[in-house]
Parts: sequence; structure tokens; C-alpha cells
Amino acid sequence: MTQVNVWPAAPDHVLDAAALGSAGAAQVADSLKLLDEPDEWAAFSLPDKDASGCWRSSVVFEGMHCAACAITLEDALRSVPGVYSVQISGASHRGQIVWSPEQTRPSEWMRSVERHGYKALPANDAHAHQRRRDEARRMVWRLSVAAMCMMQVMMYATPAYLSEPGDISDESMHLLRWASWVLSLPVMFFSCTPFLGQAWRDLRERQISMDLPVALGMVVTFVVSTLGTFEPEGPFGAEVYFDSLTMFVFFLLTGRWLELRLRDRTAGALEAVLNRLPDSVRKRQPDGSWVRLSIRRLAVGDVIEVLPGEAFAGDGTVVSGQTQVDEALLTGESLPLKREAGDRVIAGSHNLSGTVQVHIEQVGAATRYAQIVALMESASLSKPAMALLVDRWAKPFLVAVLLASLASAIYWWPSDPAHAVMVAVAVLIVTCPCALSLATPAAMLATAGALARSGVLVRRLSALQNLAAIDTVIFDKTGTLTRDAFEVVHIHTRKGLAPEQALVWASGLARHSLHPVSRALWSEARRRAERSFSLPELERWAAREISEQAGQGVQGQLDRPGSEALNLRLGSARFCGAPHFSGHHLQVSLADDVGWLATFELAEDVRPEAPSVVARLKALGLTLKMLSGDGAQAVAQVARQVGIDEARGGCSPQDKLEQLLAWQAQGHQVAMVGDGLNDGPVLAGADVSFALGQSVPLAQSKADFVLMAGQLDVLVSTVLRSRQTLRIVKQNLVWAAVYNAACVPLAVMGCLPAWAAGLGMALSSLLVVLNAVRLASPLPTQAHELQPRHPA
Amino acid sequence: MDILYLLIPLSVALVFCILGGLWWAIHRGQFEDIEAEGERILRND
Repeated sequence: MTQVNVWPAAPDHVLDAAALGSAGAAQVADSLKLLDEPDEWAAFSLPDKDASGCWRSSVVFEGMHCAACAITLEDALRSVPGVYSVQISGASHRGQIVWSPEQTRPSEWMRSVERHGYKALPANDAHAHQRRRDEARRMVWRLSVAAMCMMQVMMYATPAYLSEPGDISDESMHLLRWASWVLSLPVMFFSCTPFLGQAWRDLRERQISMDLPVALGMVVTFVVSTLGTFEPEGPFGAEVYFDSLTMFVFFLLTGRWLELRLRDRTAGALEAVLNRLPDSVRKRQPDGSWVRLSIRRLAVGDVIEVLPGEAFAGDGTVVSGQTQVDEALLTGESLPLKREAGDRVIAGSHNLSGTVQVHIEQVGAATRYAQIVALMESASLSKPAMALLVDRWAKPFLVAVLLASLASAIYWWPSDPAHAVMVAVAVLIVTCPCALSLATPAAMLATAGALARSGVLVRRLSALQNLAAIDTVIFDKTGTLTRDAFEVVHIHTRKGLAPEQALVWASGLARHSLHPVSRALWSEARRRAERSFSLPELERWAAREISEQAGQGVQGQLDRPGSEALNLRLGSARFCGAPHFSGHHLQVSLADDVGWLATFELAEDVRPEAPSVVARLKALGLTLKMLSGDGAQAVAQVARQVGIDEARGGCSPQDKLEQLLAWQAQGHQVAMVGDGLNDGPVLAGADVSFALGQSVPLAQSKADFVLMAGQLDVLVSTVLRSRQTLRIVKQNLVWAAVYNAACVPLAVMGCLPAWAAGLGMALSSLLVVLNAVRLASPLPTQAHELQPRHPA
Repeated sequence: MDILYLLIPLSVALVFCILGGLWWAIHRGQFEDIEAEGERILRND
């Protein structure tokens, strides 16, 4: 990375440290101002096509909950002079704003959004988003053309199927064929282009995929039918197959379209991450003063100041100050992490508590954050998995078809050359790999659709096949079998002190700390206070002069109305001089100046559905194991609670992977259920992987399945449905093989009338698709409630 | 049955008209945010 030195920029966008102050409002206003430079707004805007001189900006909104928010925002933006049109989608939290640079600037309308309590972020991925949307529209358009034309061609074909020979005059028949031909043209030359184009590329690169036999079948069918329409006396006879052709194209395109939607949903779910970086940073200049500048001018070696609440702009090392950071989105670490001078911080993570200065070591594409983003982008460019799935069969199939066709032509040539050509063509038509190429994807897509409706996102279709074959399931503990939070199970107190009173005092301290134990105490106190309607009273118990000792606990002063203040300590038993209590639960103690006051026992909150899921998975004949990074005792405790026999604690990610590989080496097919980045390598190494919906994007992007509702009970029905899918795929493949085995010899012998070949082709596709549709029925889950769309 | 010579070309033309309408709908984004239209009734203006 070269040193970028475009400093100093236009003077009105540079504000020195004195003018900035540390007030939050001024900071926000100034960071918005940086967007007013043309090359800054061009990163998320395009010149508008309809109104000349105007720009169309893509924006992501924060703080939107529902459709009503979209209306408020639209009104707020329209009231800004110079903003011409506003479109906001409540579903995607995105908006398009058309504005004129002559009358307004992005900072002005963004400030108007902020005045209404929302936040507008420039959508830096706007161009990628646009590309994906265009691709989706093209696909829908292709599919619509194929669908409309197929329906009408079927209409024209119906009389030929229903009538006796001679019922329809030759002229009328010719008219119907001509009409079918006209409507097949757009299907052939527009809807089919992805298949034809791919086949052509395959030919040029001398490789074979399933697109090649498919394209060959399409072209041959179309050419033969065209000749049959315009030259009924020719060597190919008067038969046409436009109905089979259009139907086949329609089925194939439906599959591709569903797959595209599946991919887009994944990308869309992860989109929020793409806009995590701040727009501007405060950079230290050589003379020690601070300036605010755009993130795109940040360079390796700069020192920047990051305030609480801001995100880090690049990977780097803390030079001074200490704070806690939230890396949950990137690493899955749900606890705030302490960072002080010398510690590394990563781009995209959030600074929670203190102001720090960071020496930047990686910017832009080199950051770990950017690598995650790139991973997600690549997902939308890769070849559809189902296309790869059938490619394996393409080569032997193509060779066999061509050989059969050639052999029959050679056999018939001496007796009747015209008949020989027709037989060869009949072989090609009858073997058009409709059923074969639809057999697997149709079944898998039907299953993926059913699973998606139950909140399971299938990221890799072929994983359904692997899932049906697994015999071992490995669970991670924290966040998978348990919820992230702890719950208070027991309170021991000094004689004469009520447990409730101890909890209230402890919560006075705990509310100031971000430690998960403190959060558990505070939420337990709140819960109890709510039950006894004394919440306002509890709110008054706030401690002063809080200080936190790393690894030990917090201490502070608690004011009591009517008596002197209490000096309290909350933390480890040693920190508070607490007596020993036996038990496997996590313990935290409270003490005052005199000594020990109380000890709280905290247990991990096991998901309520976990034991029944474990029991039902065992009933399916699967072996269940648990691998966790936590202490052995806590792991054993949870394992006992949910009913898993084999559990191992204290595993590093490397240990987990080694364990997994060892089991795989013994011939086991292993599925992994996890939630964090620590599970990343294991998720990638397992035969099948599940990530929970609230887990880190990176874990989600490595997993084959994402349980969107974040609940385990769909796991059982997913396994069951995958087994059923494999059964249906096998039935489909057997049917396709039987059909070809029966028809090819007939065609080779010249015994298969042309109309029967076309009908057989259509029926075999239809049968395969209908068989697959059985998988689309809803999953037989117990009533599992989807989580509410936004927190109450 | 001479009427067929009019009706069948007419049906072909009709398909192309419908496709034209579909093209407009798809490229104007009519199928992308289906919920928003239903929610429009809640608006004040």
C-alpha cells in the first residue's frame, strides 16, 4: 500500500481540532460535510437518467422498523429543497434519493434524516447491489418470456393431441404449427441464451458440462421442428416438438431462477455488514493537531482517534488510551473485549467505552473486514451449484448419445439415407436430457423452498445430499446449545440480609459494567423489580465512583436514602473475601467494607428446545458429540442437561478441527452446528455445517445451512427432509434412466414414431418435476414461533 | 373455419402485447417490493 498524501484538501472541508471540539453533534455534522465533495458522493451515487444534472444516491437507513418509518423518512427528505424524488423500501431499509447538486448537498438531506431520529449511511455497495438487481430482473424477464410462450404453444398443440387423424385440415394444422414456431423464436433466441452461451463457451474451452447436451438437444429439436413446419415433405417429416421444447426451457429456467433467489437472499441477509465502516476519521497531523478527513484518504501509518460509539476504520494497534471493543459481527465473540496500548483492533468492530488512538496498519482491501466482504461478493458470482451437480454426468451421457445416434445412422444409411438421418435425429430428440438434468435440481430446489419457509436457508444445494448420509452431529456449546446469557439460579447471603436486597445492591454496581455476569445480574434485578412494580425505585440505586479491576471485579459507592453510603465490591470470591460454596455453577460475590455480603450462582441458559432436539436426533440413529472452548466442568454440566454423552471442553479451534478430522478418518460423516468464527475452520471442514441465524456473517457464509430463526428444533425436520430428498432424487434418476433405456433402442431401430418421442420427452420431464414437488410440502415441525421482526 | 386465419395470428400478437406489459412491469421493479404497495393505504397523503 503506497502512502496516500492528498493533504491538504479543499479548505472549507477541513476543520482543525480547535473548531471541532469534542461535542458529538459537531463531529457528526463535520463527518457529513465530507460527503459533499463530488468524488465522495460518486462512491454511492450515479448521475440520474431521467433528470439531467441530478444525482441518484443509494442510502441505507439505520433505525427503521416498519413501513411507517419509511413514510416519515420520505416526508422528511422531500421537504429538503433540491431533493426531487425519494423511494424507500421498508423491507430492505434502502432508499434512492434524486437530488440536484445546484440546490443541495448530501450532508443537508442526511441531516434532515438525523433530525427525525434516523441515520442515513451511504450505501457503499450500491453498485454491487444494482448489479445483483439487474441480474435478477433479467432472469425474471427470461422466465416470463418462456412461461408466456410455453402456455400459448401448449394451446396450439392441444388440437393435435386431441383430434383423430383427418379431423383437422392440413391448412389449419399448418397455421397452428406456424404460430407455434413464431412463439418459439423468442424462447429459442432469448430465453435459451444462457444455456446456448455456456455450451458455446464449453466448446471453445474444450470442456463438457451438462449445458452442452442440453443445448444440443434444444438446437436439434428446434431445427427439426422448423423444417417440419416449413418443409413437411422433407427428410424429417412433418412432426413438430415446439411444445416439448418450450416446456423444457421453462422448467430449466424456473430452476435457475429459484437458485438465483436463494443466492440473493443470502447476500441480502449479509448486506448490513457491508456498510459498517465509518465515513470519516480523525487523523493526527505531524504538528499534533487533529483533522477530520474521509476514510478513503486514510493511509497505512496514520494515527487516528476513535471515540466511544464509533467503528474502527482500519486494522491497527492501539497507541494510547484503553477501551472495550465489540467484535461480535466479525469474530462472533459476544463479550466486550478489553483493548489497551499495544493491542490490535480490527476494522468494522465497534469502540464501546473509551477514546483511543490507533496506529493504522491495514486499510481498504487488506483489512480482515474487506476480506469478509469480498467473500460475500464472490458468492453472488459463482456458478450455480446445481449446474455443477449435473456436470459430472454430462460427459458419459453426451458420448453415449452421440455414439448411439451415429451408430443408428450408419446402420440405416445403406438401405435408406433419408430414413437414416431421421432416425439419428429421433435418437437425439428422445435423449434430450430433460429428465436427467431436471431430476436432481428439481428435488433439491423443492426441498430448499420448503426449508426456507420454515426458516432454514440452504446455502449449498448439494449439501442436502451430504446431510442425508451423516451419522454424527457435533454441537458447539455457547450460543448453540445455550443462549449467550447467564441466569441467576441461587443467592447465598450473610445472615440477616435478604437475597432481594443483595441483588438490588449488586445491580447498582452491575449496571455500569459490560461484563456478561454483570448484565445477567442487572437483568435479573430488573425482572424481579418489574414483577413487584418497583422498577423506578431500582433505577434510583446507581453507584458512583465506579472502577473496574480487570479479571477481579468492580467497586463503587452506593448512596442509600436515609443512611450513609455503602462501599461495595462485586466480583470473584477472593476480591470479596467470600466463603467457599461447592457447586458447578459460576459464582460471583458481593462485599462491603465489613466483609462478605452475598454470593450469586449463575448458570448458563440452556435453550429450552435443546434436550428434545438431542433426543429426537438420537432416535434417528445419529451419534451426538459436543466440542467447546469452555472449561470442562461447565461443558459437562450442559452436556448432562441436554443429554449428550460425549463432550469435550477446553478445545481450541485447532483442537476441534483435529477431532473432526480424526472422526472423519474413521469413516464417519460429520455435521457441525456452531455459531462463531471460532467454529469457522470446523464448519468449513465438516461434511455438512449449520450456523445459527444470529451468528457472525463469516460463519454464516461458510455454513451450508443457516437456521434463520436461531432455534434448534428445525434441525430434526431438516435431516428428515434431506433423507426424503435423496430418496426422490434416486427415484427421478432411475426413472430418467429407465425412460432412456427403453426409448433409445426403439429410436435406434426406427420403431419410435416421432410424435411418441416428443410426447415421451414432455411426459418424462413432467413426471420428474411432479415427483419433486412432493418435497415442497411444509415441514412437520412442532409449533415453533418465529422471533418477532423487531425487538419490542 | 376461415376465422382461424384471423384469430390465431391475433392470439400470437396478443402474447407479444402481454409480454410487452410484463417487460414494463419487471423493469420498473413492480415485483421487487410487493409489500410496499399494500402499505401505501396507511399513508396520510
